[in-house]
Amino acid sequence: MLELNNIRKAFNQGRHNEHWALRGIDLEIPPARISVLKGPSGSGKSTLLSILGCLARPTEGRVRLDGEDISALPERFLTEIRRRRFGFIFQQFNLVRGLSAIDNIILPGIPDGQPRAKLLARGEQLLTELQLDHRRDAAVEWLSGGEQQRVAICRALLNDPTVLIADEPTANLDSKLAGEFLLILERLAQAGRTIILTSHDPLVIEADIVDQVFSLRDGRLTGVEIRHPAFRLTR
Amino acid sequence: MIFQPAIIALLLAAALCMTMMLAATPFAVQLIRHWDLRSGSERQLRLERLTYLFSMLMMLVCVLQVLSTLLFVFNAERMSIMFVGAMCAVGTLNANVYGFPALYAQLLLFFAATSWLALNRVDNGARNYPLIRAKYAFMLALLPLAALVLYLQFNFFVRLEPDVITSCCGSMFSEDADTIASELSALPPRQAMLVFYLGLASAIALAAWQGWGKPARTRWRATAVGLSSGLAFAAALTGLLAFVALYIYEHPHHHCPFCILKAEYHYRGYLLYIPLFAAAAAGLGAALVAQFGRRQGLEQLAAQHSAALARIAALGFTLFVLIATAMIASSRLILLD
Repeated sequence: MLELNNIRKAFNQGRHNEHWALRGIDLEIPPARISVLKGPSGSGKSTLLSILGCLARPTEGRVRLDGEDISALPERFLTEIRRRRFGFIFQQFNLVRGLSAIDNIILPGIPDGQPRAKLLARGEQLLTELQLDHRRDAAVEWLSGGEQQRVAICRALLNDPTVLIADEPTANLDSKLAGEFLLILERLAQAGRTIILTSHDPLVIEADIVDQVFSLRDGRLTGVEIRHPAFRLTR
Repeated sequence: MIFQPAIIALLLAAALCMTMMLAATPFAVQLIRHWDLRSGSERQLRLERLTYLFSMLMMLVCVLQVLSTLLFVFNAERMSIMFVGAMCAVGTLNANVYGFPALYAQLLLFFAATSWLALNRVDNGARNYPLIRAKYAFMLALLPLAALVLYLQFNFFVRLEPDVITSCCGSMFSEDADTIASELSALPPRQAMLVFYLGLASAIALAAWQGWGKPARTRWRATAVGLSSGLAFAAALTGLLAFVALYIYEHPHHHCPFCILKAEYHYRGYLLYIPLFAAAAAGLGAALVAQFGRRQGLEQLAAQHSAALARIAALGFTLFVLIATAMIASSRLILLD
């Protein structure tokens, strides 16, 4: 369970160009569900997502993960939480060009000093699960958009995180690939992972697999739509 | 006289430390008054973010002070050739009234700085900032001491006159002089050896017990390590004055603890003082951090850090004893029948 209490976030605070991206957000994201943050550009979706994923600290307010206040944690502990509990899928995928798919996937495990053989085994298992094992050794720049995104998903899942965060994941995909992506997310949520997306793509927002939609505008929460109140695991 | 590289470095370091501590003072006061981890207020979050900066700043101050201690002694010894009558650092420190007070203040700041570093390390190991207030209150207490060091060093260095005839170590550490140092120097070697080896052996034994023994959350054992480290430090200095120095100089009446820092004695004093000071500081730190073992978040950490510091103390004192004993064994002086 991720809880946000009165989250406010300012950029360039105290300067002439001070901007409040978030202006008091309270929300709860239950586990094993797919939650979407929607809103127009500048509404604060990405800022909120970065705070949820411990990539940024709020200017005011608290973030709790399973009851623990993680917004107060010193950075060295936060890094550990980020690495173990969160997986990130970026809009541009942020894969490292020149490296193969498998090498990109095992990257998050390298700072931990895990044995390479173990990382490769885990990476190959993920590639198989996402039906991409035939592209194991292909350089990522030679993969299609959909394949690149699946590599990015594999990389996000390498450390077996409980929360998967994706910023505008379908922005670079056509409808068919976006549909495939949503099916993958559904499988991951059924396996017990919490999925949090930002999107203004109607294909995502209106998808049946989405459990909750949080609407944002001008840094404020303007609406919460709960579609599937029951837990996904018991659905 | 002041335009010596080492003096400039020392004064710059002292001034820099003072400036950084002054810059941290408003933050420390605000933190002590308003820190509330349960609050998500903007001020609390700002304090949390700033604590990284100021902790790093204070770490820098403390490390700088540890290095300054070494440089101060090295410089006092190096400058002794400039004063008429000076044979070693004692002559330099006696060149005006600020010399020895500056040394004592610097040594006090050394132990205070190492204690702060020990507290900071434990606090950084916990998730809930358990020593944050204690750490910054301690910093505020260090501020007058840092100011005193700057004041004394500045006056010492500015008032150094090369034409002043100073007194050498012989007058200060001779057995006939009327000083504490001379009384310690006059201790019979056999008694002094007993104090030296018993004092250090008990400190090593206690520190080893705390460091490698079964972990204990009780504070008394760590407190005993701190007390015994202080006593062992005093016993070690007594031993140095009373007999170790004599063996190093191979002279039955040369008790000076500073001449052993000279090149002609192969800088052997540094071999002795570095492990001794490190061990004493670690022993005191072991006792200090254990006092916070009941705080939430430090139940295990305080005991772990206290044990680690006690291990450093045990190893440092052992190294000191071994080096001192090796120097005695290799000496041609026969002090005991």
